[in-house]
Parts: sequence; C-alpha cells; structure tokens
Amino acid sequence: MKSPVFAYAAPNTVAEACSLLADDEDAKLLAGGQSLVPLLALRLAAPTTLVDLRLVPALTGITHDQGVLRLGAMTTHRSIERSPLVQDVAPAIAEAAALIAHPQVRTRGTIGGAVAHADAAAEWPAVLLAMDGHVEVTGTGGSRSISAGDLFMGPFMTSLEPDEVITSVSLPIDGREIWVDEHQRRHGDYGLSILAMTYQLSDGLITDVRLAVAGATGSVTRAPEAEAALEGRAPADSNDAITALAAELSYTSDIHGSADYRRDITTTLFQRALRAAGERSGQA
Amino acid sequence: MSFPHSQSPSIAARSIGARVPRGDDPRLLTGRGQYLADIVLPGELHACFVRSSAAHARITRVTTDEARALDGVVAVWTGEDAAKFCEGIVGELEVEGCFATTMPLLARDIVRYVGEPVAVVVAESRYVAEDGCDLVDVDYEPLEPVLHPRSALEGGPSANEELPDNVALRGGKVLGDVEGAFNDAARVIEATFHSGRLSAGPMETRGVIASYDWTSRRLRLWTGSQMPHYIKYCLTAYLGFPENECEVLTPDTGGGFGQKAHIFPEEMLLPLLARELDRPVKWVEDRRENLMTATHAHEQFIDIAYAFDSDARATGVRIRATGDGGAYHQPPWSMGVEPWCTAMVTPTGVYDIPAADLTYEAAATNKTPIGAYRGVGYMAGTLVRECLMDDAARAFKLSPFDIRRRSVVREFPWTNPQGIVYDEGSWLQTIDELERMVDYPAFLERQAALRAEGRFIGLGLSVFVESSGESTAMGKAHDLGGIYHDTATVKMEPNGSVTVTIGLTTQGQGHRTTMAQVVADSLGVPLEAITVRAAESTTYGWGSGTVGSRGAVIAGGAVLRASNVIRTKLVALAASMLEADPADIDLVDGAAVVLGVPGSSVSIIDLATAVYFDQSAWPADFDPTLEATLAYDPARPIFSNGGHAMIVEVAPETGFVTVEKVFSVEDCGTVINPDIVEGQIRGGVVQGIGAALLERLVYDDSGQLVTTTLLDYHMPSMDFSPPFEIHHLETPSSHTPGGIKGMGESGLIAAPAAVLNAVNDALSHTGTVLHDIPITPEQVLRALRG
Repeated sequence: MKSPVFAYAAPNTVAEACSLLADDEDAKLLAGGQSLVPLLALRLAAPTTLVDLRLVPALTGITHDQGVLRLGAMTTHRSIERSPLVQDVAPAIAEAAALIAHPQVRTRGTIGGAVAHADAAAEWPAVLLAMDGHVEVTGTGGSRSISAGDLFMGPFMTSLEPDEVITSVSLPIDGREIWVDEHQRRHGDYGLSILAMTYQLSDGLITDVRLAVAGATGSVTRAPEAEAALEGRAPADSNDAITALAAELSYTSDIHGSADYRRDITTTLFQRALRAAGERSGQA
Repeated sequence: MSFPHSQSPSIAARSIGARVPRGDDPRLLTGRGQYLADIVLPGELHACFVRSSAAHARITRVTTDEARALDGVVAVWTGEDAAKFCEGIVGELEVEGCFATTMPLLARDIVRYVGEPVAVVVAESRYVAEDGCDLVDVDYEPLEPVLHPRSALEGGPSANEELPDNVALRGGKVLGDVEGAFNDAARVIEATFHSGRLSAGPMETRGVIASYDWTSRRLRLWTGSQMPHYIKYCLTAYLGFPENECEVLTPDTGGGFGQKAHIFPEEMLLPLLARELDRPVKWVEDRRENLMTATHAHEQFIDIAYAFDSDARATGVRIRATGDGGAYHQPPWSMGVEPWCTAMVTPTGVYDIPAADLTYEAAATNKTPIGAYRGVGYMAGTLVRECLMDDAARAFKLSPFDIRRRSVVREFPWTNPQGIVYDEGSWLQTIDELERMVDYPAFLERQAALRAEGRFIGLGLSVFVESSGESTAMGKAHDLGGIYHDTATVKMEPNGSVTVTIGLTTQGQGHRTTMAQVVADSLGVPLEAITVRAAESTTYGWGSGTVGSRGAVIAGGAVLRASNVIRTKLVALAASMLEADPADIDLVDGAAVVLGVPGSSVSIIDLATAVYFDQSAWPADFDPTLEATLAYDPARPIFSNGGHAMIVEVAPETGFVTVEKVFSVEDCGTVINPDIVEGQIRGGVVQGIGAALLERLVYDDSGQLVTTTLLDYHMPSMDFSPPFEIHHLETPSSHTPGGIKGMGESGLIAAPAAVLNAVNDALSHTGTVLHDIPITPEQVLRALRG
C-alpha cells in the first residue's frame, strides 16, 4: 500500500493550478486527499502529477451574500460543520457535514474535493442536487458556473474539463426547507442510502420539491417521479411519492445490502423526511 | 505422572485482587510504543510479495526480468529460489483423521488461494519493492476453484492435490446411547448454522525483520509473534540456522488474538533473504495483505440436534462440524482445530448430556488458510449450543434461564461423556446471577410495552465453560498432543528491586502488571520495585506461546515458583538476622517480620543488601544466588466459566441491531486484577458483537476475496461498544498459583450466541429464527416485514 511515483506541485494560485493540469493530462488535483490518497496507496489511481491546492488562499472561506452560501472549494467538512455562519443560515448543511466519515477525515477532506470526486455514496453531491447548487470553476480558458444537475455525470464522473478547478460551491439559501439524512451501518461509514430533499411548505402543502438520493444508487440522482408525485401534497398524503421513489431508481447491490434492501431503507429515509415535513408544517 | 514443575507454592493475596493500573498504559497510550515498523536497522531492505490473483491456477510462467532491472530492486525470488532452501512448512493437527499439508514458502507450479505468495521483491524501499512487484508477470492457467466445503468433501476437483478428496480432517466418536436418547426424546431441537469467516484483524498487522551476520552466523529475527520460541525452533528445524545463534525478538505488539500464533512463510523467507543478500530485510504487512493472507478464522457449517426429555432436560446431542479450511494447514494450529473442538469438546458445555454423537471434518478449499483466533474451536461450538438452548426454551415455553437450569451440571468434579474432568465451577450460579442482573420480569414487561409502540428489544443468554491455561494436561485430557511449559526468571538486586522475565510475549494483555502483582505478594516488595519483562527475546527463558487463555495461569505459576526460591532465601536470612524460626517469618509491606513479635523486622532492602555485601549476616550454608529460573505447567486442566446476557434493539427502519447492554458473569477463579479481567471481557465481547453483527470475509464465485479493506470488512468501532455490567464469581482452582484461571478468550467465545439469541428474541413475534452469523440488517428487516 505505497503509491507509485508521482510529481508533486503546490501552486499558490488557481491559474498556476490550471496550467499544471493543462500541461499534464494525467495530473490530478489534491484537495484534502481523503479519497485520493487511499486510492494511490491501493494503486487504483496513478496520476503522474499531484497538484496540491492547499496553498491557494483564494479557495477557502465561507460567505453568505444575497441568498447564496458560498463555500470555498478547499473548505473542510469540519469547518462547514463548525461554522457559526452555516449553523445560523442553514443548520441542515452543518448537520450534513457532520454525517461525513469521522472527525479526522472531516478535518482534512474538503467540499470541493468531495464534489469533484463525485463518489456515488458521498453526501455533498446529493446536497448540491437537492439544493440546486452550483460550482464555480476556473480553467485555462476562463471561469464558468456549472449547476449540480449538469455537473454529476455518473459515478466518479463530472463534466469538469481536465484543466478546470472547482473554486467554490454555491448553495441557494432561499427559505426552502432542507433535509439531509442517511443510513450508515456504523457511524462514519459510507451511506447505505443518503437522501437530501428541499421543498417549500405553504398551507401545509409541499411544493417545489427537489429530491436526491446517493449511496443506494449507482450514482447520485434526482427522483423526478417522486418529486412530481409529491408536488402540492400534504406530507401525510405521500403514498404515491413513496411508491414512485421505490420504482423509479435503479438501486445497487453489494455485500453490504441488496438492491431490494437499499430500496427498502431508502423508502424509510423518505418516510422520515416526510414525517419531519409534517412536523414542520404543524409548527408553521 | 507428576512433575515438580506442576507444583505451585501457596501465596497470600494482598496485591492480587487489587485494581492496579496497568504499568504499560502511560507509554502505550501516549504513542511511545516501539512496534515492529518503528525499528529501523542500518542498511535495511524492504520486501514485498507478488501474490496470486487467482484462487486456483497452474503457474505457467513467472517473468521477473523487468523487476530485476528496476533501479533499487536488489533481488526477486520465485518459488524455485525459495525451494532450494526449504520445501515448505508442514501443518497438521495431532488427532485421529488429520492429513498433513506442506505449504511452500513461495508457490511453485500451482497457486491455491488468492493472495498466496508467488514471488518476493526486495528493494531499497517499500515503494520500489511495490513498483517491482507490479513488473513481475505471472501467467496463470486457471483450474477450477473449490469454494464450498461440504460439496468439496463429496468429491469433485481437489483444492490441493496433497488432499485429493479434499479431506483434511475427518473423525468422530459416538459416546453413550445416542440413538436411545433421540428415539425416546419428547422433542428434538435442531438446526444448521453457518459461522462466518473472520479475520482476527489486529490493529498492528504482521511484520518481520531479519538480520544475519555471516561472521558469527548470528540470525536475529524480529516478529510480533505470540510464539517466538516456536518460531525460533522452526528457524533451525526448517532452515538449519544454528539454534545457539538464533534470536527471535518481539517488540511491542498491537494485538495478536491468535493470528500471530502461527508460523508464516514470510517469517521463514526473510531470514533466508537476509543471509543471501547480506543486508537486513524488513516486511511490514499492509492491511490488504492482512485481510487477504494472514490466517482467516472460525468459519464452519454445523448441523446440531439436541434430544430433550419431557422435563426439557437435554439427553443427547448429535453434531457434525465442517470447517472451510482454506488451501493448507497453517502450523501449528491447522484448519483442524476449529471443527475438531466444536464437535469433540463444546456440544456438552455446562450441561449434563449423557449421550453424544460427534463428527468433525475440515475441507481443503481454495481460500486463505484458517487458523487460530481468540476462542478458537469454542466460539462456533458455543454459538450453536447456546442458540439451540434458546430455541428449546421457546419450544418448551420456558425462560432461557429455566431451560438451562434443567440440564446444567450441579455437582463437581464432573466428568463429561468425552471423559474430560471439570474439577470445579459455578455453572448454575452463573445462570442464577445473570437472571438477577437482568431483572428478567422487568425486562419482559419493558419488552411488551415497547412492542406495543413498534419497538423491538430482545434478551439473549449464553453461558460457557472455557478451557484455560493451555497445558500438557489440557492436551492429554482432550486426546490432543502437545507438551507445554513456560519459564520465568526472578532476580533481586542489592537494593531490593526485582526484575522478572517471563517466557510469554504480550500483545496488550497487561502481563507486566499482573505478574508484578504476583511477585509483590510472594516477596513482600512494593509494585514500584518490580519490573517485568515479557519475552522480548528468546535469549531468555522458554515459552509455549501466548495462546489458549494461558498467560496469567502459566506465567503466574512460573513467576511464583521462581519468586518462591528467592523468598525462601530471604526468609532464611531474615530468620538468622532476627534469631527467629523461618516458619515464623513473613514477607509483607517491604519487610520480613516475625509473626507474633511486633517490632521484630528487617526490611527487604536490608536483606537484599546483606545477600550481596554482608557475608557476616548469612546463616550457615547460605547460597547468595538471588536469581532463579523455573518452569511451570499445571498438573491438571483448568476451566473457567461464565456467561453473558445481552439486550438488543432491532430498528424497524433498517434492520440494524444495536446492543443496548451487556451483563457479564465471569468466574476465572482468583482475580489478579479486576480492571484487566474486565478489560478482557469488554474487548472480547465487542469482538464477539463484531462477529455476530458486522464482520464477514466474502469470497465471490471465482474465489476472489471481496473484503480487502476495512471499508468492506467492518470491524466494531467504539460506537459498537455497549455499556457493561460485570459480576465476578470466584471459584479458585485447587491447583494453580493462588487459584487463578485463564479467561482471555471468554468474551469472544460466548458473546456471539448472546447476540444471536437476543436478536431472535426481538424477532420472536415474527416466527423467524436466524442461525447464521453475522446477522445482516437485511435478514432482520425481512423478518420484521414478514
């Protein structure tokens, strides 16, 4: 479990990082390393150059401005979990950060790294999809914004160009309800199923719902039929949505649980989310 | 036959029984341990193994040219290179019906499990060694893998042509009128169990450093072994290194649990490499190698049936235990010990069952060899026995406590049908005590109330008797071979301080503390004046291994015998100095005192100083040697006993099982240190919870191991460690030092059955009864959903 040989660079600017990526098509960004370093040790990844982003000051920091929570790409999970700002404007996001692995991993792992890695069993991609978040990216050709829906292309696959660096993650904070929940066998394990949901509650009815599932499926995914079935319904009136969620997704099987099992426990996560919506609706 | 080294002097317990803090803790808990990887020898090379990617295949070609040419690679050896020095290591179990295998140091011609070493690359760093491994090209011609032990025993392809019918072990016995018991039974309770494939998973993986000096022919071998003297013996027996120039050194070791109580090909290869390359060679196993190639454990398929009479008393048992043994016997414990012990020893347990039909078998399969892991042979057997007891309780509508009381042995000494004699025990009291601790009526009320709310809790019980203090007598009582003894050296220096060396290595059990407590009570010196050294080097003493719950008993006996030699001299000297009868002298609180004469005393320090520097104080014929080395091996087998009751809750949303609380009763005779005993219980029980709920080595249909990281092989973490309530019963052994018994394996032996029983109780309203471990959340959820 020792990595193969690689070159290492630690640039101070995003532009330098981009040009390093452009110069070496087998280069890989290092953004915390909590997934990449084990992959190197197992020799499942063998990049020729590691471009470490830890010395790029522009990539850290959390701001809340004009209804957008902006998280610098190198912001650690732990910083998000403990950020008074995040706890204030979107406590569900701080709680979602706390679902990730263990404190040691959260202290080094970053949101930009996790999003770019696009693990099918990771929390942030589901949160981004459900919140309709964006990533700001910069490449040698300039900067652009990619919506979560356009970013995640499959397991460990994104629409990032080889020379692009995620610089920040933007999450809209617009009064919509946020719910993130997960079934982990042991605390800190990858989720057997992860569910993120955002919605409006008005007059006891759910509207504008966005539902994302990870862990239970081959890649992070929205559940459009369940969303449609829930639209305009009261949380207690959700049997059609529950049926739709069970039917529309392609659940995965592995040694930790069959597809049937993952479907069942995803359903229970959805039921928990709906119960919570019912409670919120009662309090409103 | 009786030998002097089985006699243990009496001892008055003073420090024994106290919660003395573990002396190793400050050093180990602050990261100051020196583990194998921390040892760096000048000029050392690093070894890495090319391991088979096929479960069963003929090797048609091994190409090493590119690897040899890599900058930094010093040597590449294949099976042919290793075989010039050693054909392989031979394993078998010394029982009827066992067939030996020879495990090559590096595979030649055929590979027989995924992970089997095929070649070794030695390089200037582990990184380069791994680069070199990637450049070794092995061509395999696939052979059919043998993966299912019971079908393997019925014929078909061979996993290992040394065992053409795949039978590595087959035998058994019929004792008493089994047929009569089953014909006359009011009820027969039976089931087939699968006890899953486990890894002992020590936090420190295996590792070896070999260093050879050609000028003196001196070989030094560092290995985190539980059996360094055995390793040393093998260095001479298999490799021809001169015994007098071999030293096996054992640094701090991060857990062994039986996995490190074997001889491994890697341990035999590195000395050869170090000698041939004239450089020290180091191998530190990584986690993937550990999960893939260090011995696996415990997996068995077991058919078992109990006959019960109309009073719900067990009258007979039939068992067939089949081990899924892997490709070779791993010496010395082999793939035989699991099913042999499960069938021949455990089916009767604490119960008076007069008739037994016992069958054991082990199949060679194309998997990693099975070896010893804490509770070897006892865990699976206890699982099936205790689980069927709870099944029987439900069938007879009795409480789990009552069904056990119907059959439990009440009179001692007790001889079971297998002929094993149990001198004493608190078998009935264990059941009674657990019932009291649990407050069974209150539990039943709470269970019913929660069920009405849609919450499901269950209570599981498991009681055990455990062979402890592994000894020659224990082997004989079980018709097993094996001669055991350990030595200890006790030395007192001029200022009255004591240095003790024991023949056992220690992997975190606190031997340095418990042995100091024994010495303190023998010599009357304070604990601070005693230093205990475990078998850090085979230069000192002899040890048969830290195995079989033997540390406290065996090292304790040897330490006490050696201390007693020093004690006798101190008493003689004190008697002379105080003009008293030696029979009236006691050593206590740092002084020799004359019993019944207050104020008449001399300090141990003054006595020690006088031995070294004041001949005028000596009595006639005094021999000033204040150092003694003696051996110990108990005269009779020793058995501890106890039990666990567990309350679990199953989650209707996920099928996850949470252990709410563990109630443990342990009777290991005289308790040397309750903190250490309780630590052993907690650690073992949590391992048992892991075995019952989480841990599972999984092979796919082609014989590939799927679980090669700790992400997939789930071990219990802190949040799986429930609260405990522990109660000590003390039924001293009549013939061990101070009456102590061993207990290191008890937690893992009995915990899985308690978990399984508790889950089955939680699910009792569903009609589902589970008989396999680990219990998966999916099985539980399916049961709850009907």
